Amino acid sequence: MSDAGYTRRLSPGTRAALGVFARYGTIIGLLVMILVFSFLSPHAFPTYNNFINVLSQASLAMIIAGGLTMAVIVGELDLSVGYAASLHGVLVTGLIVANHLPIPVAVLIELALGAVIGVVNGVIVTKLKVNSVIATLGVGTVLVGLSFAYSAGVPIVSGVPESFLQLALGRWLFGIPNPIIFMALVFGGLWLLVERTAVGQEIQAVGGNPAAARLAGINVDRIKILGFVLSGMCAALTGTLLAARLGSGTTNAADSYLLTAFAAVFLGSATLRDGEFHILGTLIGTLIIVLGFNGLNIFGAPTFSQFVFQGAILIVAVGLASLGRSLAES
Amino acid sequence: MAAPPAVPFVAANAISKSYGGAQALRDASLSVLPGEVHGLVGANGAGKSTLIRILPGVTQPDTGEIAIEGRPVAIVSPHAASGLGMSFIHQELAFVPDMTVLENIMLGLPKKTTRLGLVDWSAIQRDVAPIIERVGITAPLDAAAKSLSTAENWLISIARALVWKARLIVMDEPTASLSAGECRKLFSIIRGLSTSGVAVLYVSHRLDEILDLCSRVTVLRDGRSVAVLGGPDLTRRGLVQAIVGGAVEHLPKSRGAARGEVVLSVRGLCRLPRVTEASFDLHRGEVLGLGGLVGAGRSELARLLYGADRPDAGSMTIEGRPFAPRTPAGAVRAGLGLVPEERRTEGLLLGKSVAFNLSLGNLTPLLASPVLPFISLRKRARLAQATIRDLSIKASSPEQPVGRLSGGNQQKVVIGRWLRSKPKVLILDEPTRGVDIGARGEIHRLIRELAGHGMAVLVISSEPDELPDLCDRVLVMAEGRIVRELAGTDLTRSAIIEASYALTEERVSA
Repeated sequence: MSDAGYTRRLSPGTRAALGVFARYGTIIGLLVMILVFSFLSPHAFPTYNNFINVLSQASLAMIIAGGLTMAVIVGELDLSVGYAASLHGVLVTGLIVANHLPIPVAVLIELALGAVIGVVNGVIVTKLKVNSVIATLGVGTVLVGLSFAYSAGVPIVSGVPESFLQLALGRWLFGIPNPIIFMALVFGGLWLLVERTAVGQEIQAVGGNPAAARLAGINVDRIKILGFVLSGMCAALTGTLLAARLGSGTTNAADSYLLTAFAAVFLGSATLRDGEFHILGTLIGTLIIVLGFNGLNIFGAPTFSQFVFQGAILIVAVGLASLGRSLAES
Repeated sequence: MAAPPAVPFVAANAISKSYGGAQALRDASLSVLPGEVHGLVGANGAGKSTLIRILPGVTQPDTGEIAIEGRPVAIVSPHAASGLGMSFIHQELAFVPDMTVLENIMLGLPKKTTRLGLVDWSAIQRDVAPIIERVGITAPLDAAAKSLSTAENWLISIARALVWKARLIVMDEPTASLSAGECRKLFSIIRGLSTSGVAVLYVSHRLDEILDLCSRVTVLRDGRSVAVLGGPDLTRRGLVQAIVGGAVEHLPKSRGAARGEVVLSVRGLCRLPRVTEASFDLHRGEVLGLGGLVGAGRSELARLLYGADRPDAGSMTIEGRPFAPRTPAGAVRAGLGLVPEERRTEGLLLGKSVAFNLSLGNLTPLLASPVLPFISLRKRARLAQATIRDLSIKASSPEQPVGRLSGGNQQKVVIGRWLRSKPKVLILDEPTRGVDIGARGEIHRLIRELAGHGMAVLVISSEPDELPDLCDRVLVMAEGRIVRELAGTDLTRSAIIEASYALTEERVSA
C-alpha cells in the first residue's frame, strides 16, 4: 500500500476529482464521443438505424470480450480468443458446407469445441503451471495451424446456405438484429453468473486473492478452468456469427478481435469500479471502441487512424484502471 | 509529563489525520530524543499505523507539525524522510529476493563507481564492512537474500538504514516472526544502536519487549497520544491501563469442561524435514494449543492437516473415517476450517466487502432458493449484519471494504466466516498476532465459545502467554516432534517455554 505512487500526495479535492475521473471517465468519454459525432454528423450518426447498426456490429466484439472478461476475472489472460474465433468460423462453415450438418448441430459442435479449447488452456495453466500469456499464445498458434490444415488457407465461400447467413443478418423480436439478441443473452447470463450465483462469488474470490480463496476451501483450479471455458465458448459464438455475417469461413477473419476485446476489457475495468474487471464494464468498454470506429468511418478517416485509436485507447484504459486502483488503496 | 531534557531528534506535534469520515489521529504528539529507544503502543485502530505512515512521508497529515532537531520540516516522500535521517523497517520487509545481501543493503543508495562508471562493489564492500560487523550479519555478502531467514533479512534492513546514516530507525512489530534467540540478538543490536546515538522508535504489541527495551513509551488511544510513560511510571500495569483506558477484563476460564469424543485423530504424521513425527487426538469441545518456537514445525503440521501439503507418512481420521485431504477444498469438505497465519494475504480479499469475505467458502446459506443457483444479496447482508453484531466487528456497514478495518476486526471477519458453516475442526494459526489487547480478549472469548458449541479447536501460537489462558491442553513441538503434553495445573507459561527448549538443550548436553 505504500507503493500507491504519486496519488498519495494529492490534496483531498484533487483526489476526489481524480477518483471521479478514474471511475466515470470512460462513461464521460462515451457521452462526449456521442455528442461530438452527433454534432459533426447530425444526419448520419444520431439515428435509430445507425444506433442499431453500430450495436449489431459491436455485438460480435462484445461477446468475445465478455468471454475474455471471465478469464481475466479469475486472474488469467486468454490470448487465444481471436485465433480460436477464426478457427470456429472456418470449421462451422466447413461442417455446414462440406459435411451438410444441420446449422444448429454445427453451432452446438462449435460451442462444445470452444469449451474443449478452454479446458485445454485451463489445464495447461493450472496443472502444468504455465504462465497464461505463454500457454494461450501457444494454444492460439496451434489453432491457427489447425485452421490452415483444415482449409489450406482457402476461404470457404461457395455453397454457404442462406439460412446460415440469417444467423447474423436476420432480425427477430421487434426487428432487432440477431447478434444483438445473442449478445444480450450472453451478457445477461454472464452478469447473473458473476454477480448473483455462488459460483460467481467463487470466481470473484479466485481473481481477488487466490491464496485466500484456496484456504477458504474453494477449488481454485476448477474455477480458473471455468473462466477459460467461458472464454472459449464466447470465442466460438463470435467466430460462428462472424462467418455467418461474412458468408464465408476465412482463416484469419477474427484475429483482430483479440486487441479489441483486450482494450474493451481493460477499459471496462476502469468503468464504475476501481480497476476491477466486470461484465457491465466490458459492455461499456466495447461500446466506446466500436462507436469510435463507427465515427471514424463516417468521417472517412483513413484506416491507419483506427489502429492508432485502438492502441491509444488500450493504453488510456489500463492507465485509468491503475489510477483507480491507486486511489482506492492510498 | 516532565519536559524532555534535550532537543528531540524528531517531534511531531498535534498531528491530525482523517480517512474519509474516520478520524485516525486527533492532535497526536510524539517526540523521540537522540539515541533513545522509544516505544509506541496502542490498541489496533488507535492510530499507530497512521502515525508511522506520516513520519516517513507515506501519508500527509491534515494538520500538525513535524520538527527535526527543532526545525520544522515538510516530509513529502519516503525519499525526503531518508534525507532527514529517518529510516523505516516495516512489518513486511522490503527486499529483492534474487539479489545478494550486499546488493540489498545498497538498494536505492548512491553507489561508488570506478573510473569507467561501473559500480565499484569492492570499494562498497570495504565501506560497509564495519556496519556489517556492527549489526552482526554472518551470511556471505554474495548470498541471495531469499536464502536468508527473516531475522537475517531484518539485519539487512538495519544495515541499509545505517549505511544511509539514519539517526532514527522505526521498527514496526520487529519480533512478529522471529524466534526467541533471534529476538535476543535483535535486542542487543537495538541497544548497540542506542549507545551509538541512533534512536529507535519501537512499535509493538509485546509489552514485555517494550518494558525491556524502551526508556520512554508513547501510548496512543483512539487517535490521541494519551500518555508518555518513562522512569518509574513505566510499568506493565501502567501501560495496559493507558492502552485500554479502563479496567482490564480478565478472561474467565472455562477449563475442565467435560471433553467429548475424539474428532480428529493423527498418527505418525511426517513430512521431512520440518515435521518428523506427530501423533495426537483432538476432542469435541476442546481447545488444544500447539506451542513451540518459530521453526519447530507447527505451521508445517497445520499445512498437513489442512491438505495444503501431503505427508510422507502417517494417517489421520475425522470421526473415525479416514481423512487424507489432497487440497484445502477437500479438507473443508471433510469438515475442517482454517484461520491462516497471514490474514491479509491468505485470509481476506481486502478490496471486497465485509459481507463478501464473511460468505467466502460457505455460500449455500445465501442461496435464494434450493433449486436455482442464485444467491440473495439481501440474505447475505442480513447474515453479515448478524455476524457483525455477534462478534462486535467494528465496521460501518456490511458493504465496507474489509481492508479498511483494523487488524483485530479483520481477524474477526476470518473467524466469522467459519461461524456459520460450523466445521467439526477449526485450526487457528496465530489468531491474535498483531492484534491489540482488547480485541485479543474478544477473540479468545470467541474461540472458547466455538469450543463450547462442540467444535474441536486447535490453536497454534508462538506466544507462550497466550496458550495457558486459552487452552484446555497444550502440545509443545520442538524440532518437528511433539515433545510434551501439558494440561491442568502443569499448563503454565514457564512449562511451555521450558518444553520448547527441552530438546535443543538435550542435544547440546549430549
